[in-house]
Amino acid sequence: MSDTILKVEKLEKTYDNGVQALKGVSFDVKRGEFLVIIGLSGSGKSTLLRCLNNLHQPTGGRVTFNGEDITVVKGSKARSIRSKIGMIFQHFNLIPRYSVFKNALSGSLSRAGTLKSLMGIYNEEDKKRALDYLDLVGIKEKAYIRADQLSGGQQQRVAIARALTQNPEILLADEPVASLDPATCHTVMDYLKKVNRELGLTVICNLHFLSLVRQYADRVIALKGGELVYEGDPSHIDEKWFEEIYGEGAKEVHIN
Amino acid sequence: MEDKKALGQCLLLDGVVFTFLILSFAVAILQPTEEQLLNLSMVSGVTFGTLIVTMALAYGLIHFKIKTVGYLLFSPPKIDDSAHHVSWFKTFWGVQLTVAFVVACIVGIRVTDFSLYELFDEQGMMGARRIFSSLFTPNFDILPRAVLAIVETIFMAFMATVLAVPVAFVLSFLCAKNIMGDHPVAFALYGTLRTVLNVTRSIEPLIWAIVFSVWVGIGPFAGMLALLLHSVASLAKNFSELAEGISEGPIEAIRATGATPVQVVWFAVVPQIVLPYTAFTIYRWDINVRMATIIGLVGGGGIGTMLIQYQGQAQWNEVGCLVIVIAVVVWLMDTASAYIREAIK
Ligand SMILES: Nc1ncnc2c1ncn2[C@@H]1O[C@H](COP(=O)(O)OP(=O)(O)OP(=O)(O)O)[C@@H](O)[C@H]1O
Ligand SMILES: [Mg+2]
Repeated sequence: MSDTILKVEKLEKTYDNGVQALKGVSFDVKRGEFLVIIGLSGSGKSTLLRCLNNLHQPTGGRVTFNGEDITVVKGSKARSIRSKIGMIFQHFNLIPRYSVFKNALSGSLSRAGTLKSLMGIYNEEDKKRALDYLDLVGIKEKAYIRADQLSGGQQQRVAIARALTQNPEILLADEPVASLDPATCHTVMDYLKKVNRELGLTVICNLHFLSLVRQYADRVIALKGGELVYEGDPSHIDEKWFEEIYGEGAKEVHIN
Repeated sequence: MEDKKALGQCLLLDGVVFTFLILSFAVAILQPTEEQLLNLSMVSGVTFGTLIVTMALAYGLIHFKIKTVGYLLFSPPKIDDSAHHVSWFKTFWGVQLTVAFVVACIVGIRVTDFSLYELFDEQGMMGARRIFSSLFTPNFDILPRAVLAIVETIFMAFMATVLAVPVAFVLSFLCAKNIMGDHPVAFALYGTLRTVLNVTRSIEPLIWAIVFSVWVGIGPFAGMLALLLHSVASLAKNFSELAEGISEGPIEAIRATGATPVQVVWFAVVPQIVLPYTAFTIYRWDINVRMATIIGLVGGGGIGTMLIQYQGQAQWNEVGCLVIVIAVVVWLMDTASAYIREAIK
């Protein structure tokens, strides 16, 4: 297989209300890398991630996943693509009333079959996988507690386990630590890095803090007003680049 | 006024108020005969004519910055000018409201044949005393039959609720904007369903019971069908409002796992709505028991039918027994449903 897992070419997204959120963004994602996307609020980061797994339909350009054009896919094809691309969110988006285990297990829905999953029948392999991944993110002992009883950081780890249970090739993370305190934030980022290293999973992550970017990213791309304004090594981002991306007068905030 | 819709609402309200006043005075002064009042084309012509003239009048008033009731209601001033405050009875809208209210009361007294004389008439009072005394000495001999009848009523309400829930459940998704999305076909379906349900709901179960008692014959089945129809429409509305308030996050997350639309509903939507849906369902059952009693009066079966039979034969002691049975059951249902709803909140 080639080195490039995902190829994004001149990707455009105009919402129904006329907002042009992406204006021709192109970049490649290498298999196994930890790619971070930065940019101001409203620069199109979330839109970009959602166009990659077809939660939103791009309105122009092309997305190629493992050599296959996935720009406009529908129905079962779209679902099969999504199942290979896990996603975690800023607000975790767990099912509050379900147990941690059941939340993690919902990552296997695409394989479970509609009728069986409605009756609560899952195969043993998927159950084991869900527990293993809960173990991997260090939350196995809370498997049978309701998800809404957990702290934010713990919930995000469950969300990671849910995404991993999908058996994805790529993990999309939309500001996974934006609603967590600094300490918890590093724990969650460390787990993402662990997943990236140990499972060889490609991670594409939206982040706000440059200090985190330097610490975790293999490569960085920056968006501004829906356009790609920087692509390169995180260590090359200095004050000048920072001003370019975030605008004049912006100051870097450190988070430790 | 910039807002066209607010202007329209304002003119219509003021027009209706003025038309009501003018027509009331006209009737009082001209004293038309009943035959004249029954002449539909003339009456509607005069009414619409007056409405148009008065709406034009209202437009003129607003144009000259006179604050009418409609203006204050639909286009309240953005600035609070209470600094140069005028007593309400010196304002145009104050006078307009007062006059309209007084005239409405006078018309009301005339129309309802309101009469203190009748209320305290010697013979009438005697009759009332007779009924009350028999009501308060109920005949408990018919209690076993009354209990059987109210069991029928309760189950009528129960079946109507049980059958309504799955239908309303499905309809509620089709009537929720956030779930239907903005696809034109989906939107058309959403609009049609909403309208049909609103119309169905605005027709009282009592009327439906009359329709169904002709259709399937007098009895509990007709009453059940009437309640069922009304319950579907009401529950679908309650449910769809709840469905519109659910959070999008879990839906997006489950969609992102590659789940099918049915799985998305089951795993991301249903867990968010089961408890509030259950609460509404129990409440609806409670309402249905009360409605089923009334529906029985027009032949919908159950205790209502029994009540109307004894009332028709002026057997007030028996009626007294039935009233007690109904009151006890309604109170029990009401209390129980309130406790259950509180518990699952
Ligand atoms: N569902 C939507 N419908 C219409 N416009 C949208 C929608 N989602 C986002 N937008 C618009 O698209 C633009 C990009 O939004 P996006 O959420 O992708 O930015 P972001 O970089 O993720 O910002 P943030 O850091 O605040 O999450 C914004 O102008 C936003 O208002
Ligand atoms: Mg975002």
